[in-house]
Amino acid sequence: MSDNFIFEKVLKRFIDCMESELAEDFLKILLELMGVVLFLDSDYRKNIIGFKGRYQFRSSDDAITVAAVFDNDELCVNEEVIEKPNIAVTFKDGKALMNYLLSPKPDVLGSMLRQEVRLEGNLNYLYRFAYMAKRLQLMATGAV
Amino acid sequence: MATITLPDISLAEYGLENLPLLKKLRDRNFAAQAEVCIERARHVTRYLEKESSSDDPMEIRYAGAVNSFLTNKEAFFFDDNVLAGTTTSKYYGAPVYPELTGLTIWPELDTMSSREKNPQKISPQEAEELNLEIFPYWMERNILERTRTEFDNPPGMKLFERIVFFIASKAGTISHTVPCYRLALEKGVEFIISEAARHAGEIQAKGNLTVDDTAQLSFYQAVQTALKGIVAYAGNLSKKARELAQNEQDPDRRRNLLAMAEVCAQVPAKPARTFREAVNAIWLLQVGIHAENINMAISPGRLDQILYPYYLQDLANGSLSLKDALEVIGCLWLKLNDNTNLVPETAEELFGGAGTVPAVTVGGIDGNGEDAVNDLTYLMLKVTELLRLRDPSVNARYHYEKNSAAYRDRVAEVVASTKAVPAFYNDVVAIRTLENQGISTDHARDYAIIGCVELSASGRSYDASSSIMLNMVSALELALYNGKRPVTGDEQIGPETGDPATFTSFAQFWEAFKTQLGWVIEHAVQLNEMMGRIHQESLPTPLLSALFEGPMDKGKDLIFGGALYNSSGATHIGFADTVDSLNAIEKAVFIDKKYTFAQILQALKGDFSGDDPLHLYLLNKTPKYGTDAPIARKNARNLIQFLYETYQSHVNYRGGRYRPAYWTMTNHAGQGKLAGALPNGRKANRLLASGITPVSQAAGDLAACLNAVGEINPLHIPGGEAFNLKYPAIENPDDLQKFSQAIEAYFRCGGLHIQFNILSYETLMDAKQHPENYPHLLVRVSGYSAYFKDLNDAMKEEIITRTAYDIRSGKAVPFPDAERSMLPFE
Repeated sequence: MSDNFIFEKVLKRFIDCMESELAEDFLKILLELMGVVLFLDSDYRKNIIGFKGRYQFRSSDDAITVAAVFDNDELCVNEEVIEKPNIAVTFKDGKALMNYLLSPKPDVLGSMLRQEVRLEGNLNYLYRFAYMAKRLQLMATGAV
Repeated sequence: MATITLPDISLAEYGLENLPLLKKLRDRNFAAQAEVCIERARHVTRYLEKESSSDDPMEIRYAGAVNSFLTNKEAFFFDDNVLAGTTTSKYYGAPVYPELTGLTIWPELDTMSSREKNPQKISPQEAEELNLEIFPYWMERNILERTRTEFDNPPGMKLFERIVFFIASKAGTISHTVPCYRLALEKGVEFIISEAARHAGEIQAKGNLTVDDTAQLSFYQAVQTALKGIVAYAGNLSKKARELAQNEQDPDRRRNLLAMAEVCAQVPAKPARTFREAVNAIWLLQVGIHAENINMAISPGRLDQILYPYYLQDLANGSLSLKDALEVIGCLWLKLNDNTNLVPETAEELFGGAGTVPAVTVGGIDGNGEDAVNDLTYLMLKVTELLRLRDPSVNARYHYEKNSAAYRDRVAEVVASTKAVPAFYNDVVAIRTLENQGISTDHARDYAIIGCVELSASGRSYDASSSIMLNMVSALELALYNGKRPVTGDEQIGPETGDPATFTSFAQFWEAFKTQLGWVIEHAVQLNEMMGRIHQESLPTPLLSALFEGPMDKGKDLIFGGALYNSSGATHIGFADTVDSLNAIEKAVFIDKKYTFAQILQALKGDFSGDDPLHLYLLNKTPKYGTDAPIARKNARNLIQFLYETYQSHVNYRGGRYRPAYWTMTNHAGQGKLAGALPNGRKANRLLASGITPVSQAAGDLAACLNAVGEINPLHIPGGEAFNLKYPAIENPDDLQKFSQAIEAYFRCGGLHIQFNILSYETLMDAKQHPENYPHLLVRVSGYSAYFKDLNDAMKEEIITRTAYDIRSGKAVPFPDAERSMLPFE
């Protein structure tokens, strides 16, 4: 997979995003990378075989509205509001969401104090998604 | 009434140097790193998913899953412990309970092995199995999600998920209890199985079965299935021990393996014949209970009473020496440390450092009201003193009219020696408190401690004592900000109770506060009831039920109200800070009229910055809980009474009442980080006081402090309390006497519970800076013990800043100036 230029390109953007101060496009790049890796990597694809999950991501200022739907062993991402998501994640900004999902030492209390991330719905869906996101992070940094 | 035959109750001739097995096992225990164990999750999930029918009653299915796990559970003998059986497949294992909390580690499966704080190792293969096979099955099936779905995401659930108001989780609830092992020891598990079969046969013989008959039949069948799992596991252990013995070259080890093979061929299936068999039977029953129920505070109870007949018999017939007995007890203490909670890194902030808190209770009086302290009590104290382990949480009952001063002094000596354990309980008050809850006198006299500090009529009362952990400061803030909290921003959370700046009397604020507090309680209780209903549908407990008085007669599982007595516990975070804030408002705004409520609110919003005179006034001139101040005593009393009356008005899904309690684990540190500045002068996002303990550095006089806490009506604290006291040192026999006598004085004032850290500010600060020099420093948190190094920084600071009293002068030792920034009001 590592010789695939599409993967390399998205991976670089993901790494750049993780290292940037603002991480404004974190969610977009994360979902893009997830889509590419799901397509290219059969091991990673095992994560969504038979999985149906509807995720709604929104920024607090409503500037970002993204739906990520896992169905038919695929990930479908659209900028829309969906009905009956399994989990709705409202986040202050890209950096906050990135910290929430990927920080090696999550500051959950701090993030609550700063009211950075709010969740509504089945948390197990977020746990599963966070595992997949973290796996991408580890792949990007060469840890796995 | 027991007779003390030991020539020296401190057993001074015994040390780890002449108990080499215990030393070796202890060293290995300390060196062990926690590993995640998925064995139970694998078997239970596989059985429920693939080997049982969803058409069967859940009682039957879940018992089948427990049986499947226990029958297939691999037999391990990791070391030379004389007791057979392990909770997990790892030497020091964190079992996964996916039906409760297990899925919280999902995001960390790839990283938890190497995380900085308290890592828990997991192999890539096991992580993959959890990720791809086990966790997906439970996504919609665990208690939380089933409650959310079936009750349409109720308001209480949304409030709970904010974490800052209350925590309600069936995870801790199920296991916060004390089973009764007497019957299983005396008659064997096979007897209980045969009793269940007899009951089932009688029901089946009726012919046409009613709905109740069918439910009872399922229960009795489930009991048989689940208990047969324990018998099968013991059989497997016996077989494996015999196999290992055949190839073992070391004669001592071979002898031990053969002895274990014999023990496991007998117990727990059949009656225990010896002390060793009785102890091993208790351990195997603990393992069996954990096959069904999460490892959170299943408490073995009054082991010095339960095991005494076996000890006496073996000692009399010459088959047991004191050294043997010490060794066997020590092995049990170490076995109780063979597992730990599965903790995601995010939860370390709120619960870091906790063990599984199986509470052992010793001493006190017997069912006839006579002194129950026996030789075994002293042996257990000795083992506690020698091993200094985090678990079991050892609790010493003391009846000042019946127990001897020598016993009291010996317990005090062990506290001074270990620096932290055991905790002390006042029998006079505890028994009266339980009687007031409708427990019969003889059952109340047989009480034991659950987990941290909760009172329970052992083996007869199902108390679910950790049902709710409610943050009282959240209600205080809702009252201060008209139904909003700083941490939740501008969102209207609670009812609008008015702008306190417009209040003309303290009574008005008190009413607003009670309204908010009552509102939070209503949501917490409502959610607990919903979770209780889901628990009944999805996670029955036939195995645990079989080890209680009541379910086997009623044909009813514990979670359906099968026990003789029932209750649900609700504990509270931030008691002292709330009382002191009420005091400050009453004094500053309505008595002295020194400041307006608007000025205080303004100062709170600014975290007292630029308002030194007001801050200093609140800190130094307003009444503090833990002193003689009448206002503080009144507010403490009224708050406790309000909570008692509010909770007792609720009857739970098992027919029992809610019991308020005051213990906080480490939540007072975590919740403190999420609370704004308070009227008592505590600054924003700083520590709250622990349990029912006065605010750190607020109560300077020991006698007044003991009086103030002791005079709180214990009948209003039926769930139990954690009162933490700190002395820098107990250096000589005079100090020890003063220490011991102060405990008695506190109890005679009416105090229910007290626990200690015998550590100076300086030692604790050095331990924080140089953890490598204090690898096993044991501290008492708020109900349980922990190794200081395992606690998060906030919790370390909370223990450091607790008021330390000079045992000789009875005055608070000045807190070091250089470290004052650690104090919550600086």
